[in-house]
Parts: sequence; C-alpha cells; structure tokens
Amino acid sequence: MDLKNIKAIYKFLKETDIVEIDVEGPDGKLRMKRGGVVHEVILENTSRPAKAATAPESKKDSAIEKPDNIKIVTSPMVGTFYRSPSPDAPVFADIGSLVKTGQTVCIIEAMKLMNEVECEYSGKVVSILVENGQPVEYGEPLFHVEVSK
Amino acid sequence: MPEKESAELSIIRLLKDAGGESVSGGDLSRLLGISRTAVWKHVKALRKAGYVVTACPSKGYSLSFEAKSSPMPFNAIEINSGLETAFVGKKIFFYPELDSTNAKAARLARDGADEGTVVIADFQSAGKGRIGRKWESPAGVNLYTSIILRPGIAPFDAQKLTIVMAVAVAEAIEKYCKKRPVVKWPNDILIASKKVAGILMEMDAEADHVNFIVAGIGVNINMNLSEMPPDIRRIATSLSEAFGQEISRIEFTRTLYSCVEKWYKKFSENGFPFVLTAWRSFFASEGKRVIVKGFNRTVEGICAGVDATGALLLRVDSGKVERIISGDVDHAGGV
Repeated sequence: MDLKNIKAIYKFLKETDIVEIDVEGPDGKLRMKRGGVVHEVILENTSRPAKAATAPESKKDSAIEKPDNIKIVTSPMVGTFYRSPSPDAPVFADIGSLVKTGQTVCIIEAMKLMNEVECEYSGKVVSILVENGQPVEYGEPLFHVEVSK
Repeated sequence: MPEKESAELSIIRLLKDAGGESVSGGDLSRLLGISRTAVWKHVKALRKAGYVVTACPSKGYSLSFEAKSSPMPFNAIEINSGLETAFVGKKIFFYPELDSTNAKAARLARDGADEGTVVIADFQSAGKGRIGRKWESPAGVNLYTSIILRPGIAPFDAQKLTIVMAVAVAEAIEKYCKKRPVVKWPNDILIASKKVAGILMEMDAEADHVNFIVAGIGVNINMNLSEMPPDIRRIATSLSEAFGQEISRIEFTRTLYSCVEKWYKKFSENGFPFVLTAWRSFFASEGKRVIVKGFNRTVEGICAGVDATGALLLRVDSGKVERIISGDVDHAGGV
C-alpha cells in the first residue's frame, strides 16, 4: 500500500463521520482512527486478497473482486476535479460510457493550469470516484474502467 | 509544419529581404507560384493594410521603409522582424480570426510544433477563460496569443508555470507602460483594480511526463472600454485606457515574448523560489480580507500570502489556514 492510497483513505475519513477504518490490500492492512486532531496510522503486513479501497461508494466493490480487467485512472497532480469543460457542458465521461485510450475523461485544475486527463485504457467507465468540483490528491483514483479481456 | 504563410506575407518578406530594392513582378510570381495578376492583387491588399509598396513598370515592386504607416500592420512578419528572443516567437502562426489560440496551439503542439512556437489571432470567436468562461476578444485592438512550452518537469510541478507566466506578463506590462501592475492570485494582471490581462494554461501530459503546455495570454491593449458591455467595463481595462495613449501591439508583443523567455529560463536556471519572489513583488493581497469562490464553496478570510508552491494561503475566521489551489479571489469590498 503506497502513500497515495493512504492519503486518499485519510481524506475520505476526514470528509465523513467515520472515526475508524480498516482497509486491506494485496500488500498490507491499514487501520486508521481519528479522535480530535490525532490520526493514528497502523500498517502491518498481510497476504490476504484485496477487499476494500478508497472510494466512498459501494458500486466499486464489484471492481475490486475482479481487479484484472478493472483499471484505475488516477490524478496526475493535486488539483480540482472537473467532469466537464464548463459547468453547463456535458460531462466527458459518465458511468457506462465507452472510452478509448487517449480520450479526455476529466480536467484537473491547479492554479489555473488545466490538465485534460486522458484515459490510458479502452473500455467502459464503471465508477467515478470523485465528485465534480472536489479537490484531489496526486495519484488519487478518479475512475474505474473495465477493459475488455 | 503543415501550414504555409499567406501570399501577402510572402511578398512582404521578399520585399523586406530586398532591402528597398525592386523585385520584379515576374520574380514574385515565380517564387510564389501565382500569376502576375494575383501578385498585383496582393500588393493592393498590402497597401490597404498600411504598407507603402511602390510599383515601377520597368523594375517591379519595392517597399518603402521611410514612409511608415502608423500604426504598422499587426502581422507575423512585423512582430518577428524585431524580435530578440532565442525561441519564443521564432515561429509565429498568425490568423486574422480563430476560435481560440489555445485550441489552435494545442493542435499544432500535438502535430509536433517546437517549443516557443506561438499562435496569434487578431480576433477570437471563442476566446477561452477559466472553466468554460469567455475571454472578450474583439478584432484590431488586443493581443491574443498562445505559447507552446515543453518543460522538462513533472505534471504535478506544472502549475508553477502559472506563476512564471504571471511574472512575465506583469513585467512586460510594467516595462512598456512604466507603471507597476498588480497580480491577482494566481495570474490575473490588474491596473487600478481592473483586469488588463489574463492567462490560461492548458497541459497535455502522461502520468509522469509533460507532453506540452499551452500558455494562453490575453492582453487588453487598445480596447476602447466605452464600446464594451457594462459588465465588462466594470471589471476590465486596457493599457491604452490606463495610460491615455495608443500602444503598438507589435512592440508590446515582442516585449511580452522577451519577458516570457527570460522568466521561463530563470525558472529552469535559478529555480522556482527566485520566480516566486518576483511574483510576490507584484502581489498585493497579502494581509487583506479576500473571498475565494471555489466550484461549490466560497471561503472568506485574511490572505496569508502563498506557500512555496504558489498555492494561496487563507486564514479563515476560525484561525485555521487553508491552502487553496483553485478558485477566484476577490478582495472583500472591492480590490
């Protein structure tokens, strides 16, 4: 489990009322608790299969059970996530959208630098992990794309 | 490059190269691959644009350098001929009209255009601002340009170029107009609290590699604000309005490209802190009460400056300092 995932979990925790969370991945287990301003992080090794991840929706549980054909589009930078080029324009990609390699799926803005994030996979968008207009961290998962096997 | 310069610009280039000597209509016709009649038509168009072209039946066409029209026509050759840069503006794609210079520059960059290649439009039909906003782009008065950059930096560092460009544009305005403009975070340039220039950066990147960045710069130069709609008039100004005289778009454009090149080089040679120090010297919001409008939330507080990456620091009323990386900043109760 690398730092960016831990950061994402931390952020998720902060934005919700949850005070304690256990996350298991292929390379480790993480428990995070919060009370007041103290955040406790415990990392220990385990070889158990992946079960949970960082997204605040349960939709993507199915994604984790078949990780081979589910690819994650991550944020290349810290910034604000936008699903469309302007507030009244159609979104770049929705759940169920078929996307191709190189297709723009969202914009990340940092200090008026707009980065059109291109999908590195061809497939179907199965989940969108961040809400429009929300801040994202470097490496934070944005989309799950189901690629055809 | 897939695009060729227009026949008119080719004629001007050839006549300039001749240094005031005559070039025969036959030579021009051969060099350009067009008929003598077409050459004559283009010469008439050039005269209309402000060039003094003399036609002598026995010798051909010559360009007069003494009888300069005022102002000189705004085109790629005029801008390029006095340019003192090593790479910014060395290749100029000039268009009387475009949808957006940023969109055009991105297309050129994808086709492999060199770093420093610039796009200029005299008029933009869909000039872009932040998040789908429009940039007012009337013809004949302002500068709308986009510069292709290929910095060897990681995508997560790229927003620093926003600061680099802000310093460059502010310095160009200051240099030309002998008056210190103000930078509104992160990169709007203001004179007397009104916007005179804006910058919109667009990046094309892989996960760990920047393919290119397009720095779109719009500067209101000779725009007559009384002709603009009231909502624009309230928030915008132009160089000529601020200083009471017309400003040569050609000279300003050259100055701008020199400043962009200078600060882009300083960024790679002297590092970001050096650029940020210069940026701070144009920044006037520190210690003031500001309102930051984000996508779906607005925060208010005292501006505590910027951090080492250029992000805005805002001390909200609870005393907590928030770090802001996107949003519109306004001074509470006006700038």
